[in-house]
Amino acid sequence: MSHDAATKKYAQNAASAIKDEILQKALNKIQSGLGKATALSYQNLDEGPDLRLAAHDIREKTINNLDVVLTRLAAKIRENGGRVYFARTGEQAVEYCLKIARQHHVKQVVKGKSMVTEEIRLNPAFEARGIEVNETDLGEYIIQLAGEKPSHIIAPAAHKTRQQVGRLFERKLGVPYTEDPPELTRIARKALREKFLTADMGISGCNLACAQTGHITVVSNEGNIRMATTLPKVHVAIMGMERVVPNLEDHDILFRLLSRGAAAQKLGGCVSYIGGPAGPEFPDGPEEFHLVILDNGRSRILADPKFREILCCIRCSACLNVCPVYGKIGGHAYDATYCGPIGAVLTPLMEGMNQAKDLCLGESLCGACQQACSVNIDLPRMLLELRYRLAYGDDQWETQPVSVAEKTIHQAWAFLAGHPALYRAFLRTFALGQKIFPTSRGMITKMPGPGAGWTRSRDIQPLSQTPFRKRFKKLNAKKAHG
Amino acid sequence: MTHATLFIQCIVDGMYPEVGEAMVSLFQRLGITMDYPENQTCCGQPSFNAGYRKEAAKAAKHYIETFEDSETIVCPSGSCVSMVRHHYPELFENEPAWKARAIAVGKRTFELTEYLVDVLHIENTGAYYDGTITYHDSCHLKRYLGVAAQPRTLISQVRGATFVEMKGCDTCCGFGGAFSTKYPDISTAMVREKVKNILDSGADAVVGCDMGCLMNIKGYLTRNTLNVRVMHIAQLLAGKKAGAV
Amino acid sequence: MQTNTTETQFIKTLRTALGIGQESAGARAAKIFTDPKDPSPEQAAIVKTIKSRRDKDHMALLHHLSREAVPLNLNVIPVKDKAQVSKAIANLVKETGPEWGAKKSVVQWDHPLVNALDLKTALKDQNVPVHTAAFDTTGMDDLTRSKARDRVRRQMIDSYIGVTSADFCLADTATLVMKSRPKEARAVSLLPSIHVAVIGKEQMLTNLKELYALLKYDPETREAELLPHHMTLISGPSKTADIELVMVHGAHGPRKLYLYVITG
Repeated sequence: MSHDAATKKYAQNAASAIKDEILQKALNKIQSGLGKATALSYQNLDEGPDLRLAAHDIREKTINNLDVVLTRLAAKIRENGGRVYFARTGEQAVEYCLKIARQHHVKQVVKGKSMVTEEIRLNPAFEARGIEVNETDLGEYIIQLAGEKPSHIIAPAAHKTRQQVGRLFERKLGVPYTEDPPELTRIARKALREKFLTADMGISGCNLACAQTGHITVVSNEGNIRMATTLPKVHVAIMGMERVVPNLEDHDILFRLLSRGAAAQKLGGCVSYIGGPAGPEFPDGPEEFHLVILDNGRSRILADPKFREILCCIRCSACLNVCPVYGKIGGHAYDATYCGPIGAVLTPLMEGMNQAKDLCLGESLCGACQQACSVNIDLPRMLLELRYRLAYGDDQWETQPVSVAEKTIHQAWAFLAGHPALYRAFLRTFALGQKIFPTSRGMITKMPGPGAGWTRSRDIQPLSQTPFRKRFKKLNAKKAHG
Repeated sequence: MTHATLFIQCIVDGMYPEVGEAMVSLFQRLGITMDYPENQTCCGQPSFNAGYRKEAAKAAKHYIETFEDSETIVCPSGSCVSMVRHHYPELFENEPAWKARAIAVGKRTFELTEYLVDVLHIENTGAYYDGTITYHDSCHLKRYLGVAAQPRTLISQVRGATFVEMKGCDTCCGFGGAFSTKYPDISTAMVREKVKNILDSGADAVVGCDMGCLMNIKGYLTRNTLNVRVMHIAQLLAGKKAGAV
Repeated sequence: MQTNTTETQFIKTLRTALGIGQESAGARAAKIFTDPKDPSPEQAAIVKTIKSRRDKDHMALLHHLSREAVPLNLNVIPVKDKAQVSKAIANLVKETGPEWGAKKSVVQWDHPLVNALDLKTALKDQNVPVHTAAFDTTGMDDLTRSKARDRVRRQMIDSYIGVTSADFCLADTATLVMKSRPKEARAVSLLPSIHVAVIGKEQMLTNLKELYALLKYDPETREAELLPHHMTLISGPSKTADIELVMVHGAHGPRKLYLYVITG
């Protein structure tokens, strides 16, 4: 897709999302409920909300020593009988998973919710080889049946109403229509229990690994991830290479923040610490455990000191729940694996700055995301940094300057800013020239060019014929004399 | 004697000079003397936010040269102050001499309400307003400068006024500089919600500390002929007859 | 299989990205990793506090737990002794029916406290079988072991009540902590529709922080068992809010969770 086409698509997606009343209601519910509850849950931490800052330090330390941390993690997991594969690309990761599937003659896979498998497009690769893949998180299951993509990191089907889910289940599962959430949940429970019991392979992501002990941890409220990592004979976990902390005490802190950031909970309902397969003396649990550690563009981010901080993210999704832009356009408009503020920074870095430029330009820089972030990542700083790279282009990132015309305007403005007499003359001329625009009750109602978007829905104040700089002397003198 | 050098940002200078006037009359009432360097232009924030840092640096150098001899600089915008205080030093990462000058001038540049409350310890400005007021937190003022209590303190001392908080008082209004013209649909959806919250609060006037946000809010209000006054806090605090923008 | 070169290359890429060399790796590792065998003074103090708790401290934690359990839909039932638990389970079996099949059966861990409930006797007059999801693998070849695993799995699928104990219970988050052990099949607390857990009140801890301290350092626990290859934390029965953010209990796994705490 050309970059202009991408911009157009983003704008169109956003516009239709804004018109979608069902989506607007869902977004409102998420933000007014979860967004506020999360902020309160940080306040209620024993250590207080500043624990987020301590967590940021831990994450930074981890990322800056990722080589030794991952080496230790891999060694410990192998010690426990697990297998570890380091995948440079998404394709390599998918290929490895397929190889395991072939070795075990896998016909059916159950999955725990995992964004990283969305990132590497795991499901289509399995399905193309005739292997059935079942998403088991209720939200993921719903959107898989609907043939859609997640619209929120932890509430993937938030954009669907109970009526839509009811009709979907009626059509796809052949059950009588119901719009009762407990009944719909029961239907999914029944359908998925069969899948859990017959699956040959379980695939999960990894919320946060602990290198010292050699464990990954996976969290779900539904218990589906526990099912998927306990019942099938083989468990493959895929983790982005940054999703790890060095020590148990670090894990303690990050883990508590993760649960709060994700769902304003003290702790997720069901947490599994997995460090290897179940040994032969165990009556259940997977006989093989594989951990795939994925780079897929992350080392490139690591190499750029200005963007390295984004690897501190633990994907709690708290930033989505407060972002006013996400709150209007929802997850699908971003047209990327990761949406919301985290996606606005991560997607341009993973998929190309020019291609995904609207994600970082289309944010209002309000800063709500950083305050909500469970590890206090300075997302606005990186949004600005991306814009900087886009403005002038960046060879390191194969980024082209985004607009020559725009640059010229800023050059001209900078010239004026450095030349006060010309600056004043320019504003004076503009104040005179603006009379050609239509007005109503003293406000300009229609402007061409860059102002057109504004005046489509809002009036704009015209420039005063007597600006402040012309008024000050008189005002200041008035008092001095009287 | 208290003296302040005024930095009146471009939007107020050109579009809302009455806000600057209100600030002058407020300062006069409080016994603060003022000067206004005529050579001041733009702080460079529009270029910085759009990524054009070289151009922003030019504006920044001009600001530094214009204001570095002033002891205390006061500006009726949290956004511009945040630019000077936080982003100027970033612009001069490779120019240590300029960076030092930027940091020095940044420490002496204050937003209006933080200047009154934190620097001068003034809470009661002797203002009067007959009506119900709600307050919109501008993002950069609240989140980057940490100024949220100060304006409320000042408002609470205004005689005759009833203060009500609106829902989502610190949710972005959708201005975001060029964001509002580049992504008008998103920006409009945001300001629509902001205006709804203002109306739902029952206030007859919305007060803010940044004309960027207020220009956005007012533009939506007038387009939809909604009758809520929009006031910069300088106007509210300026006196008995503070008028709407 | 993974060749070591892929891993070496991967790690090398990270070092290049970080702009640091391999030679510093040892020193950096020493700096960022704490000694797994050596608790910090804070951790040691926490463990000491835990070990010095008396009856009244445990009762206080139990009260704390009872409060926190309510919003999580976890039923905490303090009982005097094991006999009361057996009786309560017998009642539960009487009053409830299986979700999936028609026949009632119960599955349990091979665990001293659970065994002491003597559920077989307690459920005898109702004619409800009690399975123990465990087997002894000594001398088993792969095929027999695999058959034994299948048999245990079948029992867990067919039973509608699973009875377990737990290593700890965290009051602050209403969390059961279960470390995997050979005689304590994981799915007993997963496949049945009702999960019943039984613990003594001395197994109560305050919060996650105490658990983490004990995972690192516990003079009374063998090192390999501090944090074994698998551990589960369960805070109340399964729940979901994926349809219109409406909270529904029982998405997967047990829909009801009863925790009996023996106060002695």
